[in-house]
Formats: sequence, structure tokens, C-alpha cells
Amino acid sequence: MKTRFEHAYVLNVMADDRPGIIAAVSGVIVALGGNIDACSQTVLGGYFTQILVVSFPKTVAAQDIVVRIQKAAPPGGALEVAARPYAAPVTPVEHKMGERFVITALGKDKPGIIHRFSQYLAGKDINIVDLYWDCAGEDFVLTAQVEIPKRWELALLQADLDEMGREEGFSARVQHENIFVATNQLRLPGGQLIGNCFSAEASHGRQ
Amino acid sequence: MLRTDEILSTIQMLHAEHLDVRTVTLGLNVNDCAASSVDNVCRKLREKILRHASTLVRTCDRVGGKYGIPVTNKRLAISPASHLLAGHGHGAALRLAQTLDDAAKECNINLVGGFTALVQKGISGGDAIVMESLPQVLSSTQRVCASVNVASHRAGINMDAVRQMGEILLKIAAATAAQRGFGCAKLVIFSNIPEDNPFMAGAYHGEGEAEATINIGVSGPGVVSSALHRRIQLGGPLTLGDLAEEIKITSFRVTRVGELIGREVAAELGVPFGIVDLSLAPTPEVGDSVGEILRTLGIEKIGAPGSTAAVAMLTDAVKKGGAFASSSVGGMSGAFIPVSEDSALADAAAKGHLTLEKLEAMTSVCSVGLDMIAIPGDTPAETISAIIADEMAIGVMNNKTTGVRLIPVPGAKTGELVEFGGLFGSATVMEIRNTGASAAFVRLGGRIPAPIQSLRN
Repeated sequence: MKTRFEHAYVLNVMADDRPGIIAAVSGVIVALGGNIDACSQTVLGGYFTQILVVSFPKTVAAQDIVVRIQKAAPPGGALEVAARPYAAPVTPVEHKMGERFVITALGKDKPGIIHRFSQYLAGKDINIVDLYWDCAGEDFVLTAQVEIPKRWELALLQADLDEMGREEGFSARVQHENIFVATNQLRLPGGQLIGNCFSAEASHGRQ
Repeated sequence: MLRTDEILSTIQMLHAEHLDVRTVTLGLNVNDCAASSVDNVCRKLREKILRHASTLVRTCDRVGGKYGIPVTNKRLAISPASHLLAGHGHGAALRLAQTLDDAAKECNINLVGGFTALVQKGISGGDAIVMESLPQVLSSTQRVCASVNVASHRAGINMDAVRQMGEILLKIAAATAAQRGFGCAKLVIFSNIPEDNPFMAGAYHGEGEAEATINIGVSGPGVVSSALHRRIQLGGPLTLGDLAEEIKITSFRVTRVGELIGREVAAELGVPFGIVDLSLAPTPEVGDSVGEILRTLGIEKIGAPGSTAAVAMLTDAVKKGGAFASSSVGGMSGAFIPVSEDSALADAAAKGHLTLEKLEAMTSVCSVGLDMIAIPGDTPAETISAIIADEMAIGVMNNKTTGVRLIPVPGAKTGELVEFGGLFGSATVMEIRNTGASAAFVRLGGRIPAPIQSLRN
């Protein structure tokens, strides 16, 4: 990812959720003459978390950014910040060549399911780009958006997931992401629906 | 990045509500299989089908697996068999049908359509062979489906053909009496037959089509019904307009599933993608019923006053959703009301809520027509022809497709329950009122002229 200014940092903010956190963080960036190049934020179980890539025209000490944000934080709860210099990560070439799939799993909740699931994917060099887990009573639902290297046979992955599901008490499905794009978004995927119509980059950029 | 709620709503539709792709139908022009000897016709036909269709099932299964959506039926629709049979005899018709049956079996294809005659204005030599051989063909083959187009808004209604079809239906029923006249379930008599319809038994590959195309039939009455239930459970002030909107949105999503699968299958097979036909095509399975949608819309007894309006709203909303989802919508694209194949409709017919006359009225605003209706086996041919003529008139006058799939069940009387099995379900034999009272009209024959296109009131 190319940042606007030369001196870039990745920030991670975690806080008790309340109004004013984003205003505080962005206020500090502006005050330092910087730019927010990318950010993603979510709230889970009453906790706010945000990851940002920010850049500045002049060198800024990472610790300075942290202290300023903590001082600017709105009252009413804790707020933690971590900052480290940003360098564009080198994505393994194979991930770029893989296609995006969505794995969904539904079943009875018990400890260790996400670990077993993610360990399996890691062993196959399958990259999780987005993970969601929620419980309603005893039941859980998991959705994982993943990049599957082309060398894997989809039917075999599905068979492995079926077997894992039998052992752990859940049902899991792996489906190409285009089915979710086609059924939810006004435009057909990329104006074309055939096979490998997304590069990894294009896919990342789509909202 | 996809949103979690998008993923979960699609999962709900695909898996909890059992959305499937009802059919992937390969349309194939076989006119180049014509030859002077029937041996050569059959050899060329088999070779061509195997060349194009041998990988159809495998491809559909692979693509279906990739998206997690089963493709329930893989089918083949050929250009009208009447073209190949011109200049040949009745024996050739049977040989050709047998070749189709065997080739379909070899390719693991459920059904093959296109044993078709287009006779809306007149009956050619090839058409006559197709029509006359139907009893033998439909009783001696498993997978061959037939259609006869006897009317169009440009030609009017060929009453000579209509009259013949009444007699032929009785002969088919007699030839398949052991299966309670089941041969008739593999024949549709049409007005304005679509050239790209992927649904059986009426699929054929039209003259205006490419050499080969992939047409998709998606269904999903269960998905529409669930969406309506969810909307109603949300509460709040609710009008039919709101429910029509819900049907439209659901149809949009269902159509997209079909187009995604269809385009990919077509690309893999190296043939152009044709159309996606979004028709609410029920199956006997509970929850997969157009009748249940009508009940959800507040028609307590299907066939009661209001049923026609409800079907009209449903069909229109389905078309609108489909048309917005895809620029390649075709075929029938509406709501089917096949009585035996729809548990709620079959139930309404058994209880006497749904009569033939009301069904006929409903078909004036929905897809296809009098579909999968069991009638007494002793119904006179002229009366069957008159029922066909009425349904054709609805199609011709309204410039829409209508079809008739009647099953005169040999030996069965009104009210008797007839079991066809599998997807064809079971049906109570419906009462035909005023039997025989239109014989003189039918016997006049000739052609009912094409309707005027102006002064429409």
C-alpha cells in the first residue's frame, strides 16, 4: 500500500466503546500534519478496536503519537494504543494467485473450534482475510473469507471440513465468494462472472 | 470485503431454504444430422450429442460444488425432431427417439426435449410423423420429452392440430396405462412456445438460437415463501405492495445464482450462455410450493376468489426481480402451477377448492397453463381438445405462452387419487364439467384466425 507521506506508521487502538474515540485519534493525526491512509474499525462485545495506517511528511516518534492519542481520549473508560513503523508487507505470491472463498460453519459452541479450524487452514497455506464468529445460546456461526491457493482441490478441502465437522459437531461449507457478491450486490462481480475474474488486489479494494 | 450479514443471508437462502439450480439445459441444433437414411440420421445424432453433452453433468457438478449450489437436473433440448424426420416414416421416428433416449442415458442426462412439432399454422410431413408417433415414442422411451405448438398470436389456433392432439393424448394414455397414463406427463401442447425454455417437458432448441447454448432454470418457491414469512414476522403495517417488493428482491437474488452458474458452465463447455429462466417451479416436497406462497399471501383456500389476483402479483414481481438481476432473462420466467407437482395445489384440488375453470383463469396471468392435471380416462377426445383450445386462446389473445399437460388417467374417475411418483407427485382426478358439450365446435376444425392487435379492451 502506498502512503501519502513518507513516514508511515500502523496504529492499533483498543478502548471501552464510547463516542469520541475516532475524533480523538484523527484529531491527533491532523494536529501532527499527517494523513490517515487506511483504517478499519469494529466494535465487539462493547470494546472498540481500530487499526490505521497513517503517514506524516516529517519524522514523528511513535511514542509521541501514542501519548498524544491517550491524552486526547474522551473520558469514560480505558484506551490503549500501539504504534509501529509501517512497511508494506510482502504478500506471498501464491496468495495473490489464489481465489477468494468463503467458509461458513454452524454448530454447537465449544472451546477450541476456531483453533482447530484455523490450524487446518494454516497447514494448507490458506490465508484468512476476514473472520467472524458469534454465538447465540449454545450455537455458533463462523464465517471466514479466505484465499485458497490454486493447487488445492476444492472437493478435498470440503471433505476435510466435513470430517472436522463430524468430529467437532458442526457443519461447514466452502463456497466461491462470487456467489455472495452475485446475490447481494447490484453489479455482477467485476462485470464478468467467469472463473478467476478477481485479482487479489481488486478483491481487497472492493467494498 | 463481503459483509457478514450478506454472507449469512445467502447461506440461509442456499442451505436452510434449499435453493438449487433446477436445471442446466444444453440447447443443441441438430439440423445438420439430417440424412437420407435413418441409420445415418441416428448415427450423426448420437455422435453430435455425445460430442457436446458428454461433459455436461461433470461440469455442472464441478461448478455447483464451487459455489455450494446443487444443480438438480442436467438436460438436453434439441432443435425440432420434425425437421430430421421430414421424408422419413414412422419407424424412423421411433428409431430417432430411441437414439435420443440412449444418448441421454449415456451422458447421464435426465431428460431430452425437442421431440417437437411446430404446427400453429399447418402440419408438415415431418410434423405429422412426430405427432402420430407420440403414443409409441412416449411409451417406449424413458427420457424423451415432446412438445407440440398448436397456436401463436401471429398464426391463431390450428384447430385441426388441436383436435388431433385430443385424440393423441388418449392414445398416449392408453399406451402407458400401466403407469396410469404417465406418458402424457412428457408432452406439452403449447401456444407461443418459447425457443429457449430450459424447463421440461416443453424445452426445445429454437430456430433463432445459436448452434448450442446453455439455458438455466432456477426455481425457489421455498425461498420466496420463507422471505414472505420473515417479512410478515417483522410486523408493522404491511400491504400487498410490501410483499410484492419482498418477492421482487428474492427473485433478484435467485436469478443471480442462476446466471452465475450458467455463465460458468457455458464458458467451461465453450458454448454461449443463453438465458436464465426464473420460474417458481414447485416440487411435491413440502415447502417447495407455489400454493404455499398463495396461502402466505392470505388465500386460505387455493382456488378461492382472490387466487387469480395473488398469482398475478406473484408472477409480475418474479419477472421484475429477474429482469433487474439479469439482462438475459428468458424462457417462461413466472410462476408455474402444476397441480400434481405442488403439494398445496394438489391438496386444494383434492378438497375441491381448486377447479379446472379456476385453474384456467389463473393461467391467464401466470406462467404456462393447465399443467400436470389428471382428468378422467373416459373424457371424450373432443372435450380434451376443447380444453386445449380454451388454454391456447388465453395464450393467443394475451400474447403469452400457455401450455397444456393433461393426463387422462385410464380407468380413473373424478376424485380418485393417482400416484405418479418422484417429482411428478400425485394428483386427484379433476372433474370435467359439461363433458361432450363442445364436440361440434371442435369438429369444425380449420384455424381460428390470429387476433387483432388493436382495439384491445
